[in-house]
Amino acid sequence: MSKEKKARGYLSGREIRAITKANKKVMKRLEAQKYRKAEESEFLTEMKDPGNILEIDNLHTYFFTEQGVVKAVNGVSFNIPKNATVGIVGESGCGKSVTSMSVMRLLQGPQGQIYSGSIRFKAYDYKLDEKGKPVPAPAGSATPYEMEEKVYDIAQMPMREIHRIRGKQIAMIFQEPMTSLNPVFTIGQQLDEVTFIHTPGATKEDAKARSIEMLNLVGIAMPERVYGAFPHELSGGMRQRVMIAMALAADPRLIIADEPTTALDVTIQAQILDLLRNLKDKIDGSILLITHDLGVIAEMADYVVVMYAGKVIEQGTVEEIFHNPMHPYTIGLQKSKPTLQSNDDTLFNIPGNVPNPINMPDYCYFKERCDKCVKACSGEYPCMVQVSPTHFVACHLYDKEVDHG
Amino acid sequence: MLKYIVKRLGYAVLVLLGVSLIIYFLTRLMPIDFVRDKVNSMATSGATVSAEMVDAMYEAYGLVEDASFLDILKGYFNWLSDLLRLDLGTSFKFGVPVAEKIGMHMGTSFVIALIAAVFEFLIAIPLGITAATHQYKFRDYLVTVLVMIGISLPAFFFGNILKSWLSLELGWFPSGGLLDATKVQSGFGLLLDYAHHVCIPILTVVILSIGARMRMTRTNMLEVLNSDYIRTARAKGLKEKVVINKHAFRNTLIPLVTSMAGLLPSLFSGAIITEQVFDLPGIGNIALQAMNAGDIPFIMGYNMFLAVLSVIGVLLADLMYAIVDPRVKLE
Repeated sequence: MSKEKKARGYLSGREIRAITKANKKVMKRLEAQKYRKAEESEFLTEMKDPGNILEIDNLHTYFFTEQGVVKAVNGVSFNIPKNATVGIVGESGCGKSVTSMSVMRLLQGPQGQIYSGSIRFKAYDYKLDEKGKPVPAPAGSATPYEMEEKVYDIAQMPMREIHRIRGKQIAMIFQEPMTSLNPVFTIGQQLDEVTFIHTPGATKEDAKARSIEMLNLVGIAMPERVYGAFPHELSGGMRQRVMIAMALAADPRLIIADEPTTALDVTIQAQILDLLRNLKDKIDGSILLITHDLGVIAEMADYVVVMYAGKVIEQGTVEEIFHNPMHPYTIGLQKSKPTLQSNDDTLFNIPGNVPNPINMPDYCYFKERCDKCVKACSGEYPCMVQVSPTHFVACHLYDKEVDHG
Repeated sequence: MLKYIVKRLGYAVLVLLGVSLIIYFLTRLMPIDFVRDKVNSMATSGATVSAEMVDAMYEAYGLVEDASFLDILKGYFNWLSDLLRLDLGTSFKFGVPVAEKIGMHMGTSFVIALIAAVFEFLIAIPLGITAATHQYKFRDYLVTVLVMIGISLPAFFFGNILKSWLSLELGWFPSGGLLDATKVQSGFGLLLDYAHHVCIPILTVVILSIGARMRMTRTNMLEVLNSDYIRTARAKGLKEKVVINKHAFRNTLIPLVTSMAGLLPSLFSGAIITEQVFDLPGIGNIALQAMNAGDIPFIMGYNMFLAVLSVIGVLLADLMYAIVDPRVKLE
């Protein structure tokens, strides 16, 4: 079928119907899984390394379209250690955002689904008794209920339990501050809501005090005034600060920042990045920073994950990735960064495009754009090669057992 | 705000002047001559009508046989000068002042339209929201198909179906009219009898009009559900119910409330066909009779009344918009 299709360049009605039918079956199964009722024990698990806060293991997130299955995230694995900043880089459409959406379970169903894999997250949540009710804490403790650390497999969690994760454990800052706030509610109403959801028994005054505190924390000069303002009365940078305040309000253990500075102008970008960096020291949590700006990564991240076409192709500490990039794609990305020193008229760019996500080749996805191909590149997709305790790369160039001729 | 309203009312006068001009000329363009029709009907009933009598009648109604453009223009200004003295004239056909005739029949139409509109919103909005939140699922298709049937049915057909089923076959409701002529009633009993008579007409109007409103709610809701701030609301940890009923619904409400103000003229215009089917003495029914008879003062009065309501409705919609959407400021 695929050869024929390539020749024609489009799908016939019959082919589309066949695809839709196959998709429907899978989607139905995954949706039922998503909306099932489940005991807590079904999605409790153990961390592989107790030093991590998030472990993504062989995650597959697919979109079931009429044209075929788009494997937006195709076997991604990486870890986020406690109190670390992990950056994901890659060009548009390589699965960075879909990875983060999978962690938050914000994929648009029924088309977007986590197909397989696990997302283990170490949460600090209420201790539950046999009936599934929180256990009240003994008098005089800081929280009204007893707390404990437990590890959830987010990929297995049913949607009805997902509110345990969202906001309280993992918060998210989005790319578009201009449209990410509800236009008909004031900043105060939207901020207070976070406290109301996650702090049982919070009064209006508590919520307001918390919101003002958060607005202060993100460097808003007149928090009282912004508290009563509507989103359209604020600038983009201010709105992004509000978004950050909202993310911080429930003391999450992990903040996902999905291109937080892309929609902002350069001076505001610098301010927001400064803010995020300072905040990381103040809060006791980790940050997952998604961006296509290598400069941002170099400044902010401790660990870097480079993604290409739905797969991780290289990962390591920020020094390793910047001083010793190994994958030809990472090298290409760094070369295409404009610098003040060079006087070249044209910027370097990696030739070609990301392959069609529906019909991925079975060899290395980067082969067609790569200038360092060896014989083995036409063979199987390369597996991860460990080059240092923290540095991994998926490229045949570094695989000692393959034919380099 | 006040300044804005005064300015808008000033424009409204200009708009209404234009509207009256168009309506008047269109009315005069109609191939109906009230006097000739009247003379003909007198002649068929056996009366002898002399040429002088015909001339006198033309004179009395302020019309001219084979009127020229200047005659029509003169007629328009006569009508306008009467209007400025708050006189809508006397209806040719009914022989009573137009304002009085409109006032007499508007109540029935208004009550039916108002109750129908309330039910329409109460039913269509939840249906639209369910359809949107279950997009492409069985519930969405079911609701969509049902309301599409409602949109597609003509009032004269569906009204008659309901009448023959609920009234003639089951005998639950009277088949037409506004009052039971066989009984003498007063007070609460009279009110109940009214209510009994308007049930099927209201049901007809509601079923036929739900569709458009439901489609509108569904479209708006879908648009809102795909917006970034809904994703933010979900990411905060809000339960899906709160996301839909608070964050999404409040935004869906903006176009709905605005369209509610636009409903104003249709509350008073009467449902011409439904009133015909159920033989109700509503304003729509009367307007149709006047139109068929070429009753110029009534047509002018009725249409200008609706035009005024439309202008007020648009102004109200703009004011409502500023109330429900904090981003809109009226200057």
